[in-house]
Amino acid sequence: MNKKKNDGSGRTGWNRFIYNNNTVGYVFLAPFVIGFLCFTIIPMISSLYYSCTDYNMIDKETWIGINNYINLFKDERFLNSIKVTLEYVFFSVPLKLAFALFIAFLLTRPSKAVSFYRSLYYLPSLIGGSVAVALVWKELFARKGLINVNLGKLGIDAVNWFGNMTTAKWPIILMTVWQFGSSMLIFAAGLKEIPSSYYEAAKIDGANGWQSFWKITMPCLSPIILFNLIMQLISSFMVFTQAFVITGGGPNDATMYYALYVYKQGINNRNMGYASAMSWVMLVIMSVITLIVFKTSNHWVFNESES
Amino acid sequence: MKKKLLAVLATAAMVLGLVGCGQEAPASTESTETTTSVVESTETASTEETTEAEPVTLRMAWWGSQTRHDRTIAVIELYESLHPNVTIEYEPMDFDGYFNKLTTLVASNEVWDIFQLGSNFPTYQSKIYTLNDFIADGTIDVSGTTDAFLRIAADEDGNQVGLCSGVNTYGIAYNPAMFKEAGVAEPTENWTWEDYKQACLTIHEKLNVYGSSKFDDWQAGASMGVGQEGFDYSFFNNKNDGLGFDDPSMLTDYISMRKELVDAGAFPDPGACKEIADIEQDFVVSGEAAMTWVASNQYAALSEAAKANGIEELKLINPPRKKADGPAGITIQSSQMLCVSQDSKNPAEAAKFIEFFQSNVDANKILLAERGIPTFTAVRDALADELTDVEKTVYAYVDVVGSFDTGGKTVNPASPACTDAIKEQYNYYLEKAIYGECTAEEAAKAVYDFAKSQF
Repeated sequence: MNKKKNDGSGRTGWNRFIYNNNTVGYVFLAPFVIGFLCFTIIPMISSLYYSCTDYNMIDKETWIGINNYINLFKDERFLNSIKVTLEYVFFSVPLKLAFALFIAFLLTRPSKAVSFYRSLYYLPSLIGGSVAVALVWKELFARKGLINVNLGKLGIDAVNWFGNMTTAKWPIILMTVWQFGSSMLIFAAGLKEIPSSYYEAAKIDGANGWQSFWKITMPCLSPIILFNLIMQLISSFMVFTQAFVITGGGPNDATMYYALYVYKQGINNRNMGYASAMSWVMLVIMSVITLIVFKTSNHWVFNESES
Repeated sequence: MKKKLLAVLATAAMVLGLVGCGQEAPASTESTETTTSVVESTETASTEETTEAEPVTLRMAWWGSQTRHDRTIAVIELYESLHPNVTIEYEPMDFDGYFNKLTTLVASNEVWDIFQLGSNFPTYQSKIYTLNDFIADGTIDVSGTTDAFLRIAADEDGNQVGLCSGVNTYGIAYNPAMFKEAGVAEPTENWTWEDYKQACLTIHEKLNVYGSSKFDDWQAGASMGVGQEGFDYSFFNNKNDGLGFDDPSMLTDYISMRKELVDAGAFPDPGACKEIADIEQDFVVSGEAAMTWVASNQYAALSEAAKANGIEELKLINPPRKKADGPAGITIQSSQMLCVSQDSKNPAEAAKFIEFFQSNVDANKILLAERGIPTFTAVRDALADELTDVEKTVYAYVDVVGSFDTGGKTVNPASPACTDAIKEQYNYYLEKAIYGECTAEEAAKAVYDFAKSQF
């Protein structure tokens, strides 16, 4: 194919160039590369530069070296934001994955209704990150919102969700768990890949449902769990919309998540240099945690080709 | 064949994806181009007057409520019908969104031709095209207003940074029926924070509602609170290059009172305060509180919303004082003004619009003093005939505040650029104190130290 083309149109240098396989490849690659350079690499590099300045978006910045990074670790609000973000990730990711797996497991039955339900459960993920849904959750958990009204009917005292430092995070975590759709779809696809002969064999050997879940489903699904875990870890570290809309970081910084604090410093207080430094520290933290997950995955991810 | 088809599809998807993701791209390159041309043409535009017929496009933005958006847009349309060559592209926004966008526009040198600023104008001073020349050459006719009103939209050096959209002050709106029901005396001009606290506690105890709704804590506790200590004190000094007080304990009593009231359930906790997104949702409107903090130009909207909710009457009184015979701490101020930006290609045209907006009687009959009491005498007089009772209350209240003793000091209309950061820190430590993570004294000290470190 390649040769033929060169023969047919190889008269001019231009044709040789344009029909060259590599050129074709680069042309197809160009849209992504240009987008990646303009909207990811260049902003990242400039933020690395700004993180060493006192840039405030209005005056010319001056170079202050690593002062921003030093000040970060003296900033109690910053340290608190790391703490509450880790707490949020620690609760929301396992809950979300467990819930996604549970629903995916329920929806593996060969039935026509299954695809309907799958789409239905996927819906919250499509709209979940939006401001509109966050506003709905804010109303649900308000002092006189639906949740408290129903708690009252059950004879339970109304909970002051957003006025209490310990309860404020739960509506946000629940909202995240509720957006389990995309993980569920990936789990559902993974569950389909497990040969039914394994289960049949286990059944003949007398294994009950629980045993076959732990001995067959979980090991076979572990690569998918790893994938979902990493994706959700990364997205959970960047939690912003829910906290921004529902609690605004309060009460008393109980939901002042990392990305929200970056926003507060960068946009509200116009400390863009400081906020840039925070973003880089965030990158390091996330890289380290992802690396740890990858390293430990050797011990719990089952790889068929190795066994 | 199949492979080719796939490749075509894949490319199509990719291109579409790029278009989707890349929408920002043309805009941003364009913006840098316009930026450079704007800077060049500002000088030419100001030296050689553009001829009348030449089409002019001005961009304008402001923050505010829906009422303000509707009225402002109507005035823009009126202006366009009177000046067919002028087109005004407008962006109505909410307060936070407005300043977030303004900051990014400042960074990219494309601030709207006409924009709204409050007392935080020194932050954006480098972007403000001062109006002195336009006033000198008659582009803006200021004969209809007074020097005193011009000065509230000028900086320390006499640069006219904008034209005031209306004068305002702060106050406490309260529900007299609730005071009566709880057997609490209605506040008077000389009431103190102690009176306020007792009223809150009693009303909460008797009626099981909040005594007071959300306050602008920074204004009440810090900006006004320090000024209430004595005529010699203010949070920032008059030059805005340092603090105007040296004793952190001046911040303590408000913080400890707030904690006490929240603990007693007489003041909404931070979570409940979050439920109030705008003035129409205030707990005074819903009947869940007896008092609230209000800017005088918002009082009409508050009363209207309360009335719609079955609350017959609200009254307006000045905020409590620290000492019954001490300073009130509040003054009349230009809560907002319209400014011309340095990035404007047609500063003269923008200035003409601002003059029209602030001084034209027909325009102000549409605006109806929603931004505050107009500063042009003709406008004031024309509106006086059409005022509702609620609006008359506001006029009377602003006059009362204007008559308060200021100890012979002129008011500092501006706040320094670091105000937002200090305010943020103040609210942070206030919440810490409310949740018992530090004492009121520690919070006051921390805010003071932070504020001092900003200079």
